[in-house]
Amino acid sequence: MARDSHHTNAVAVAPAALLPYSLLPGTLFVALAYLLAVEPLPWAFAGSWVPALQVDFAVHIDGLAAQFLLLITGVGTLVFVYGAGYLAGEAKARRVFVLLLLFMAAMIGAVISDNLIVLFVFWELTSVLSFLLVGYHHEQESARKSAQQALLITGVGGLSLLAGIILLGEIAGTYSIQQLISRVPQFIGDTRLNAALTLIFLGAFTKSAQLPFHFWLPNAMAAPTPVSAYLHSATMVKLGIYLLARLDAAFSDLLFWEYTLVGVGTLTAVVAAIQTLREGDLKRILAWSTVATLGTLTMLVGLPGNGAALAVATLLFAHALYKAPLFFVAGNLDHGAGTRAIDQLTGMRRYMPWTAAAALVAALSMAGLPLSFGFIAKDAITLAKAEAEVLHLVSYATLFVTSISVAVAAIAAIHVFWGRDTVPREAHPHEVPLTMLLPPLLLVALGLLFGIAPTLVDPMLGAAAHAIAPDFDAATVDVSYDLLPVLEATFGAVVFGVAVYLGWDRLHALLDRVSHLDRVGPESWYWRKLKFLPRLAAWQTRLLQHGLLHRYLFTVIGVVTIAAVALIYAAQPDYHWPAVDTLSPPVLGAALLISIAALTTLFVRDHLVLVLVSGLVGYGSAVLFLFTGAPDLAFTQFAVETVFVVVAAAVLLKLRRMEPLRRVTTEARFRPLALVVAVVFGATMTALVLLVAGLPFDSGLAEFFGAQSLPAAHGRNVVNVIIVDFRALDTLGEIAVLAFALLAALPLLKLAREARG
Amino acid sequence: MIWAVAIALGVVITAGTYLALSRDVFRCLVGLALIGSGVNLLVFTTGRLVTHVPPIIDAAERQLSAAANPLPQALVLTAIVISFALLCFSLVLVVRLILVAATDDVTQLRAAEPPATDAYKPPLEERL
Repeated sequence: MARDSHHTNAVAVAPAALLPYSLLPGTLFVALAYLLAVEPLPWAFAGSWVPALQVDFAVHIDGLAAQFLLLITGVGTLVFVYGAGYLAGEAKARRVFVLLLLFMAAMIGAVISDNLIVLFVFWELTSVLSFLLVGYHHEQESARKSAQQALLITGVGGLSLLAGIILLGEIAGTYSIQQLISRVPQFIGDTRLNAALTLIFLGAFTKSAQLPFHFWLPNAMAAPTPVSAYLHSATMVKLGIYLLARLDAAFSDLLFWEYTLVGVGTLTAVVAAIQTLREGDLKRILAWSTVATLGTLTMLVGLPGNGAALAVATLLFAHALYKAPLFFVAGNLDHGAGTRAIDQLTGMRRYMPWTAAAALVAALSMAGLPLSFGFIAKDAITLAKAEAEVLHLVSYATLFVTSISVAVAAIAAIHVFWGRDTVPREAHPHEVPLTMLLPPLLLVALGLLFGIAPTLVDPMLGAAAHAIAPDFDAATVDVSYDLLPVLEATFGAVVFGVAVYLGWDRLHALLDRVSHLDRVGPESWYWRKLKFLPRLAAWQTRLLQHGLLHRYLFTVIGVVTIAAVALIYAAQPDYHWPAVDTLSPPVLGAALLISIAALTTLFVRDHLVLVLVSGLVGYGSAVLFLFTGAPDLAFTQFAVETVFVVVAAAVLLKLRRMEPLRRVTTEARFRPLALVVAVVFGATMTALVLLVAGLPFDSGLAEFFGAQSLPAAHGRNVVNVIIVDFRALDTLGEIAVLAFALLAALPLLKLAREARG
Repeated sequence: MIWAVAIALGVVITAGTYLALSRDVFRCLVGLALIGSGVNLLVFTTGRLVTHVPPIIDAAERQLSAAANPLPQALVLTAIVISFALLCFSLVLVVRLILVAATDDVTQLRAAEPPATDAYKPPLEERL
């Protein structure tokens, strides 16, 4: 019944009902574009938030932030439009849209904040929203595991980032990125800087799926395609790159910075390019090629020089213009042909001509062929590498990665859409509705436009490059054809890429044969760690929560003893032992009575005798009180002890008359470990009393009560006055405790009586 | 004087702890009582033992002079009464426990524990 009502509640949503969601990002995009045209950058705003912690809600929007904002709102608008078509009919469509809107807000917050702590808060928000969106098909276990993986990896990276930010803030004395950049010369030699940067690297590398954390991104493809296109290609996974590019202005001169970024970025790109060849699902192929691009971006951020800054901005832009449409294409194939497996897809252009057109133009850009914006990006990368004089190894790696890009582009555009449709199908594939065609077509048209006339985007890319490398003069930017070396590189990549494309199936089979290498890869570490956690939890639960009373007590007393000994030891210099002064015979007698009675309890086996002997300890205390000026205490102790012994003895006698109990038979008479703990604890208490007695005494309180007892409270027995007057509330609490004990004991006694009856 | 009292309270606390660490629930209870007595002595003693004169103002005087420290006495008085309540409640609890579980061995009181076949909380082995 519950399941039925769940289904009736979830009403399928029409595309028209979802389209209005795209108004918000659309309006933002238009407003932003207008403001960028009329107001010169940077825009800044500061409001204090937690001034005591130097956390201000400071906003600083320069070229880099503006470029990200345009991508977030621009690609966002198209993703929302696309999603309206893609998710129409899905019961949970509205949830996706709400989460996507929240995600967009978090993303905007992350790129506009100047304060690193505020940036971190938004950064974590994007991780949480990514978790919710990847786990959209939560009824599938694989989706849940992918969502958990994405959250755990980016979450652990986020914690590391927070530690790095705090350390960096301690070193620099500020959390403001702009102040940090201006103060760099003051702290560049600080020895803690490398540690701070390493922690920040971990945060950025997990977020941007760099080696060895790269594997979560392809798994995140469990999300619906609009989500993958938006979060896991265009925006969120670029946040790590964004942060690195942001800080590049401060640290680009550090060799540690340069080598780490170039090394990790290049390795990531190469590994991801190889992994691409192993996949058969178009979406996962695209995901791996996204990882490769992220690696290239990381490498470019690490390269010194102004050209590299421009290349970062250009590649970011180009990637959004071609990768998002390709994701849309993959989604369209899913919808129109019912599969994304590339061996099931050939000749699709017959059924889906517009999708085929979008795929073709996007692929041109991805392959970096002339007249596409991808070619401009390739141009910028080539120039950057020439300027930075990179190692040959990095150059070869880039060539390899670019070739694989060419092959992937050919798979997406030619293999899937051209040739004969030889796969037998039940139903003919069909073209998708307009909402799912417009977004990819619009993006590839823009790519074509900017590819032919790159000067249109010069100001935007120049401003972004200026934010990454402050030396960069925004006025001189001119992204254009620097033909010879670029054509040379393009030619090489295309030749090699076509070769990979033609041999795709053979390479795929070859890599399948070495798939056992996965068992030692980073993802296998992840799964092993995940299996290890419950075992660790079980081990520590068994260690601490064993359910054995005496062992709990053992832990408590052990910890208290160690703490007391440590405290005494730490303050040792201030202490000295008290002198052995003359003894008054009654006190000595009382102390002897107490000690002998206490020691006797250790040897008594019979419970009744045990109660009687323990009563002697109380009587001894009473005698002690009597001869040390505390008659009230003495009388109370006598009374209490007598009542307790009588009651306990009565209870024991009654128990004895009842059915024979299973007595403790396995416990040894002598328990050495318990004795050691007991002796150490008792000796510590003795030492504590002696050392306290050796300290000077502050009699202020005693004198106050002695002086005020009569005038203020009209009583001559000072102890009584304290109890009923000065500390009357405490005494009320004490009476309440007695009442509660009685209340709790009554039902227990009643139950015990019933159990007998 | 202080040495004698300090050693006596140390012995009481030692004996109480040893009893409390027992598996016999009744011995635990007596151990608790002894630890309580020992701690009362500790609080009382830290207020210094200087005289046997009780802190009562003479009829002829307006304020206390040369008497025992009244403050620890007031504190310990409260503590004695409270520990009496605690012990009486514990005694009832122990009796009830013995009747219901038909054992006075604390290791046998496992009703709230997961079964021995539980994957994440394996059966325990005795150490202490």
